[in-house]
Amino acid sequence: MSETANVWQGTLALMVLKTLETLGPLHGYGIARRIEQTSGDLLSVNYGTLYPALLKLEQEGYIASAWGLSENNRKARFYRLTRAGTKQLRKEEHGWEQATAIMSRFLPAAKETP
Amino acid sequence: MRRLRAWCVRLWSVFGKDRRDREFAEELESHLQMHCEDAQRTGMTPAEARRQALIKLGGLAPVEEIYRERRGVPWLETLARDLGYAIRMMRRAPGFTATVVVTLGLGIGTTTAIFSVVNAVLLRPLPYPEPHRLVYIAIGFGDRGSAIFAPTTDYAAWKSRSQTLSRIAGYTGFEANLTAATQAERVKAGAATASLFPLLAVQPALGRIFLSDEDRPGGAPTVVLSHAFWKSRFGGDAAISGKSLTLDGTLHTIVGVLPAGFQLPDRYATDYDLWVPLAIGDNGRSRRSILQTVGRLKPGVSIERARAELATLMQPPRRGKKILVVAEWQEQISSGARRSLLIFLSAVGFVLLVACVNVANLLLFRAAAREKEMAVRRALGAGRARILRQLLTESVLLALLGGVVGLGLASAGKNLLVAFIAPNLPAMEPVHLDLRVLAFNLGLALVTGIAFGLAPALEASRGELNEPLKGAGRGATDGRSRHRLRNLLVVGEIAAVVVLLSGAGLLFHSFLRIRGVDPGFQPDRILTLNVALTPSKYPTPREKTAFFQQVVQKVGTLPGVQAASASTSLPLAGYSMSISGLTVEGKPETERLVLVALVSPNYFHTVGIPMVRGRAFGDSDRSGSTVVAMVNETFARTFFPGEDCLGKRIEQWKPKTGWITIVGVVRDIRPAPEEEPLPEMYFSYLQPEAAFLMGSNMYVAVRAAGNPKSLAAAVRSQIAGVDNSQPPFDITTLEERRAKHLAPRRVNMLLIASFAALALAIGLIGIYGVVSCSVRRRTHEIGIRMALGADQGRILSMVLGNGMKLIGTGVVVGLLASSALTRLIASELWGVSTTDPWTFAAVVTLLCATGLAACLLPARGAARVDPTRALRDE
Repeated sequence: MSETANVWQGTLALMVLKTLETLGPLHGYGIARRIEQTSGDLLSVNYGTLYPALLKLEQEGYIASAWGLSENNRKARFYRLTRAGTKQLRKEEHGWEQATAIMSRFLPAAKETP
Repeated sequence: MRRLRAWCVRLWSVFGKDRRDREFAEELESHLQMHCEDAQRTGMTPAEARRQALIKLGGLAPVEEIYRERRGVPWLETLARDLGYAIRMMRRAPGFTATVVVTLGLGIGTTTAIFSVVNAVLLRPLPYPEPHRLVYIAIGFGDRGSAIFAPTTDYAAWKSRSQTLSRIAGYTGFEANLTAATQAERVKAGAATASLFPLLAVQPALGRIFLSDEDRPGGAPTVVLSHAFWKSRFGGDAAISGKSLTLDGTLHTIVGVLPAGFQLPDRYATDYDLWVPLAIGDNGRSRRSILQTVGRLKPGVSIERARAELATLMQPPRRGKKILVVAEWQEQISSGARRSLLIFLSAVGFVLLVACVNVANLLLFRAAAREKEMAVRRALGAGRARILRQLLTESVLLALLGGVVGLGLASAGKNLLVAFIAPNLPAMEPVHLDLRVLAFNLGLALVTGIAFGLAPALEASRGELNEPLKGAGRGATDGRSRHRLRNLLVVGEIAAVVVLLSGAGLLFHSFLRIRGVDPGFQPDRILTLNVALTPSKYPTPREKTAFFQQVVQKVGTLPGVQAASASTSLPLAGYSMSISGLTVEGKPETERLVLVALVSPNYFHTVGIPMVRGRAFGDSDRSGSTVVAMVNETFARTFFPGEDCLGKRIEQWKPKTGWITIVGVVRDIRPAPEEEPLPEMYFSYLQPEAAFLMGSNMYVAVRAAGNPKSLAAAVRSQIAGVDNSQPPFDITTLEERRAKHLAPRRVNMLLIASFAALALAIGLIGIYGVVSCSVRRRTHEIGIRMALGADQGRILSMVLGNGMKLIGTGVVVGLLASSALTRLIASELWGVSTTDPWTFAAVVTLLCATGLAACLLPARGAARVDPTRALRDE
């Protein structure tokens, strides 16, 4: 296996939501790049799976989209977080925090052991 | 919630696909360009950058495909495509489509209409709170008829002591003379315990209904009007409460009006004009000894538990056996109609079956015509399942259209149907096409669509791939398996038609039998009517007799009247007195049931009952002379076998009548055509010793010289001339009584017969279609045969022979099925066995004759084939 890991099932949506919260409205390519950058290029996003994931989030009403102009004056579709999306993000964040807290108790080898 | 929203969005995305596809392509393109620009900045050539970007994306087409699947509802889109295609196919063959839709529409429509009645009578719960807790309670006495009523004594015991019923109520119908200032009329009245209306949770439209103490002996005489009666007789007077009316000579205070449209859900479909309280003492003492009884079970109590408890509370029978019946009320109400409704439903099911088979056959013809199309589709890669699905979509769409037509037919025809079969229905709420009927209709359409579509679709999807494409579209013969399937369908169709025709034939034969029964008298030109004397005005038999003597005398002298008589019973009138425990002089007492009637001396002459022996009553048989009786032949045969009964003496009510001497024998008359005559005794009402047999009412029969109906007004005014407070009612002719009696059978017979006729017509079209199609396909072969020397007659008989072979097989199968199935209508038949050979022979003849005619048209076409042309066409 190479150094970069594939995005786990189900976590892509959370990453998308978080990215949109941090950066504000963004197009698909920007979201993908941002996820890769944030992970320190440890994650490789299959760009092809990103768009169905965006579509699903939009169908569920967590994000909304509109056409706009990119930084290079290119026409692109911009996605932004809706209020329902923010709420969902909080919920999922909380879930993840709990999950990692639990996992870290099982894996004491981690660096920050007291 | 979110998922639902997503589905809605996806469903919506089915529309505007092109625009959405374009937008996504644009989005991807802008993504690629941005990716390229970034890559070029790292020094890649534009071509290499684009290649890398595409790899990273995973290829355009796959992404678009995944995206599309996620965006819409793929199976729905396939369905939409199939539907679109099906609609195009239907528009291209409007004649075919119309035939199929109309055939199915007729089948589904009649089935839906019958089902809507079944739904209203058998399935829909009674329109009262918690209807399943309402039970009907009745007591049967051994073998004497079915359990309909319960004695008031048992009612009183149940009411005071039952722990399983939260409420119990009783009612009974009667007729009463209503006298107003100007004229008197006979009204249909109900007597109900005060608990009846609360039991049904009925609220008055005006005023109040009975108070709980009004149904005690000595309670205030009150009356509640039906809404219709209040409207028609009192003009909807809003201040009606507190006014009064006179019923059978007693003043009653009007206390309220029932809500509009209220009808007691009665098995006998009675409309009551007004209601009075039914007084029952704690010991069960009442003016009316029997009731129709309804109870409400306490929550959680089963019918069995209630039955067990009520049985222990019953009074022990004086003699014989008491059989307690507790049944769900709805069941009791519909029990009379259940059988014939189920027969209608199965008959109409056969019609639908025939229609389906016919449509399947049509589809097979079409499959033959579309063989090439199917082959092309398969050659282009359509799987068998795909073609099957496409063809089934087409047939289901046809069936749904048929269902819509059927629904239209049902909604237009349901009231007509209800009016037609009304003699077989209980009183009920109006028939609606409610949700259940709509669901039934839809389900029926879907099921029929698959049923008639499956076989042809399987057949078509299996078809040969190479042959049709080679262009040999007009082969010498048809595909063998398709041919066999088609023949099988026609045989099945004919068999179903035979079953229906046999059922209809047996009912028709039975009806003819009943109608042809010699009633024993001459029913033509006789007007009959009933007069019930108000007891308070005519307390004793002497006064009653005097009244009827005057009526008979006055009516008898009217112009156009040949004779007039009075009697306590009348054939077909549905009412008769019977006794048992008769003693013939010198013999032991007998338990045989004997009918008893009190008549005016000229009764036999008027009604046309012939004398057999002895003499008729005369004016000399009166007060003080020997009490005499006339008997019928069955009486003479039963009690005096092998001897002459004239002059013999019998006793029954010895303290009143002394010995009764038989002076004459008359012919048997049947109480109803399908009932055997019973022993019967007649007494003259001129003999006061026998006059105690008179209740309060007698029938008056008038033999007219011309049309009996035209005498009604004159007879009525003569009776008013004797006493205008005693209105005659039930004015009708004996012929009409007979028709009314036969009406339920007539309805059964006509309805089944029309279903059978419909099925026969559809079936004949089917035969015609199959034979003419096979002739068309075999034109070439016929040409060869003729070229080789076969003459026209030979060809004609060949085609006819093929057709008749199918019909013959179908008839044999149908007869076998009939002999098993007609047993189900055995209870509806009279005087005809369920396998009556004459009826079956008539059915076979009818089917073969009409079937032959259906084959003859295409056969003649075949015989006229010009061999040179048929061969040149190749």
